[in-house]
Amino acid sequence: MRVNISNKGKYWCSSLLLLASLCSDGHAQPASAPADLWWAPGSGQMLPASVDYPDESGRLGLINTSGAIGTSGHPFFEALGTNGRACVTCHQPANAMSLALTTIQQRWQATAGSDPLFAPIDGQNCPDQPRAEAASHSLLLQRGLFRVALPWPPRDSKGNVTTPEFTIEVARDPTRCNRHPVYGIDGTRHEISVYRRPRPAANLRYVSASKFGVTPFIGKTGMLAAVDPETGKPVNMNMMADAREATLKTQAQSAAHSHMEVSKPLTADQLSRIQQFELQLYAAQRWSTLGGALDEAGGPSGLGPQNMANGRDGVLGNNTSNYVFPMEDKWSQLPAGNDAKEKERNGFRASVARGHDVFFYRTFWISDAMHINTVGLGNPIKRTCATCHGMHMTGMDTANGWMDLGTTNRPWALEPPESPWAKELPSLPLFKLTCRADLPPHPFLGRVIYTQDPGRALISGKCEDVGAIVIQQFRGLAARAPYFVNGSAANLRELVDFYDRRFNIRFTEQEKVDLVNFLGVL
Amino acid sequence: MGNPRFWLSLLALTAAGELLAAPPATGNRLSFVSCPIVRDTRSVPCWLSEYEGNTYYLTIQSDVSAEVQPPMLGHKVLVEGVVSAAPAVCGGIVLEKVRLSVMPEQDASCNTMLPADEHYTIDFNPRPPGPSGGRLAFDPSPASATAPAPAPPKGPQTFQLYFDFDKSVSFRHPAPLVSILEMAEKLHATRMTVTGVRGAHKLSNGNLLQESAGVGQRRAEEVAGLLLGAGLKIPATTTWIDGTPDADGVDDWQSRRVTVELLP
Ligand code: HEC
Ligand code: HEC
Repeated sequence: MRVNISNKGKYWCSSLLLLASLCSDGHAQPASAPADLWWAPGSGQMLPASVDYPDESGRLGLINTSGAIGTSGHPFFEALGTNGRACVTCHQPANAMSLALTTIQQRWQATAGSDPLFAPIDGQNCPDQPRAEAASHSLLLQRGLFRVALPWPPRDSKGNVTTPEFTIEVARDPTRCNRHPVYGIDGTRHEISVYRRPRPAANLRYVSASKFGVTPFIGKTGMLAAVDPETGKPVNMNMMADAREATLKTQAQSAAHSHMEVSKPLTADQLSRIQQFELQLYAAQRWSTLGGALDEAGGPSGLGPQNMANGRDGVLGNNTSNYVFPMEDKWSQLPAGNDAKEKERNGFRASVARGHDVFFYRTFWISDAMHINTVGLGNPIKRTCATCHGMHMTGMDTANGWMDLGTTNRPWALEPPESPWAKELPSLPLFKLTCRADLPPHPFLGRVIYTQDPGRALISGKCEDVGAIVIQQFRGLAARAPYFVNGSAANLRELVDFYDRRFNIRFTEQEKVDLVNFLGVL
Repeated sequence: MGNPRFWLSLLALTAAGELLAAPPATGNRLSFVSCPIVRDTRSVPCWLSEYEGNTYYLTIQSDVSAEVQPPMLGHKVLVEGVVSAAPAVCGGIVLEKVRLSVMPEQDASCNTMLPADEHYTIDFNPRPPGPSGGRLAFDPSPASATAPAPAPPKGPQTFQLYFDFDKSVSFRHPAPLVSILEMAEKLHATRMTVTGVRGAHKLSNGNLLQESAGVGQRRAEEVAGLLLGAGLKIPATTTWIDGTPDADGVDDWQSRRVTVELLP
């Protein structure tokens, strides 16, 4: 491992050559260089109160507000199940508590595929394929996707089978799992397999804040909101791609079952420790290779992990009193700079400031997006990125954050061209959903919908929820490519290009560069 | 429709030389199904619709708090309103008491987006096409929050929930459903009746436009199920009206409803 405990006011800097020169802002230098950034389950190291990890655009910073965490015996860090995995296996500190594709590939190389990360249950396209072959793990190795197996038809909160508004057929089964006699939709386990990216297990105080817009009824649909089983109170339903888990504790219990194959459920004490850990952990970019310190005194209050730790949760930020990512115009009118280094830094910071303004003020027509064009704003609406990404400090939606952006539904989902000369074949499953004829159709997709992942509809059984995905937080993006639920954007530029196509925005090259620079420092 | 300040401060001209059908008489009630049209402006877009050769102004984009929320391209819209004498807005004859309902089936022919045109400017916008100033466009003013609390409820309390054409519970209903839950608690309600209605419209062209059979039942059962599911532990009687309803072209939108009665 590669971290050491930091003293107050000091933090760890990577000693990788490239980055060492950047650690010049008065902070402690590391004593020794780590072999790699991988945090193995059960390693027993301390997770410092404050620690940095190198990433694509500089350094990610993590802060534990309760001080350094002893991970020996800690349920987030120990392999509690039967397959050798811990939570930390897929939620790596160096990857903003998510898991970057590069890390997955490095683990494959380093362990010839024997790491528990590649466990058959969900680290393979389907569990019964040969474990040693890379082809069995192709979605994990190429897109960073784990298999998520959900019961079909869906169950209600009491576990009873419900009747969905649509039927599902498997239109394409490249992973040979959805037509499988055991794991398939009609198989003995009655499961549907979709393939998803891990979501960051940090800044969860924001993700789980049940404040703005939380009532017993889901704001976007009027249906019953999920409730916290301990308090009976409705929650904001902003966790997991499909909001299927009400609380951090129910989430941890089901993660232990599905990813770690525990032989018995986690204890109340283990669940509390996981929850406590998650609620005090903050992650954000702390250093930008080109832009320098992101957390310096007097800098923008929307950047850096310390500002995440200090920030208000559950606050709507799509307004000029809170802002989503407050910059206070700190970087809007910088002097050119005295020397080459300062010129470069100030030039980059100006680009970040422009990128913020693209995110916050650049209008385009948002059209045919379920749960945003259907909630009283009209279709289309002339608005900005921040209309969908309105939560202060995270860019999530404040409550009930699922929407259909088109990342998994045809016609917008990324699909290789079908052609006799195609070099690449489709790798994700494709489902054909047929909605009941006696109910209103999906307003934009009609009654027959093709999708790679039905998203929220796998839980709600509602036609209008097909392909609706809960928005993830924007933090630590540079540490955890690829993006979107299905890893369909390999990098931030591809993410921006997706939006450009999806909404016919016609960004200028400068706008794209600025937006990418801005997202990269969050 | 909403805010008088809004009407007065919208500057609008009808493009010279446009061929117009005979303008409708002020005070006429209209009820029609037609494609919505979006007209861009320097600020937020306007929403228009054409009927019998005239263009009507429906509303502008603001935010979720708007009393008249814009319809959807890709669908026809059911428009009800009263022709007003107000100056045209965005080139459309202004309708008062506008009620809009998006028709649920898709209609690809409803795809007209008109570019911004210097003839049409909006000098008052309750919410620009980006971040707000901090409050919703039509939030009640802080003053109204300090109004004296209403007297404690006595006797049966009735609530009406209105629905979009052929639709059941949607984003419109969390707030009224929460009001019902709160009232049930204040009233110590012991039971409730929930009556769903299949609505109908008498259109200006004389046709009867009726919702689908069974929608009244679907609404009533869904509303009762949601209230019980949210923890209201009282017996509920669910009924529905599904016949051939009367419709007279006056506020027919009110026929698309569920009535909830709470009994102490
Ligand atoms: C095999 C990899 C893997 C393991 C092990 C794992 N997770 Fe995850 N985690 C995921 C994936 C994949 C998702 C996204 C699932 C989805 O969206 O349906 C996720 C999502 C989450 C989220 C939701 C974050 C958000 O913003 O939505 C939390 C919290 C989380 N995991 C915590 C845990 C905890 C706690 C454990 C251990 C008990 C754990 N995870 C173990 C892969 C893993
Ligand atoms: C119609 C609503 C909508 C608009 C407008 C929108 N987004 Fe998103 N955004 C989403 C949804 C939904 C997701 C989650 C989709 C998924 O994971 O497949 C998302 C995810 C993201 C993510 C997180 C990706 C990840 O994997 O962590 C980023 C970053 C992002 N959007 C940036 C932007 C930018 C920049 C714009 C403006 C150009 C924008 N969004 C406009 C709905 C929207």
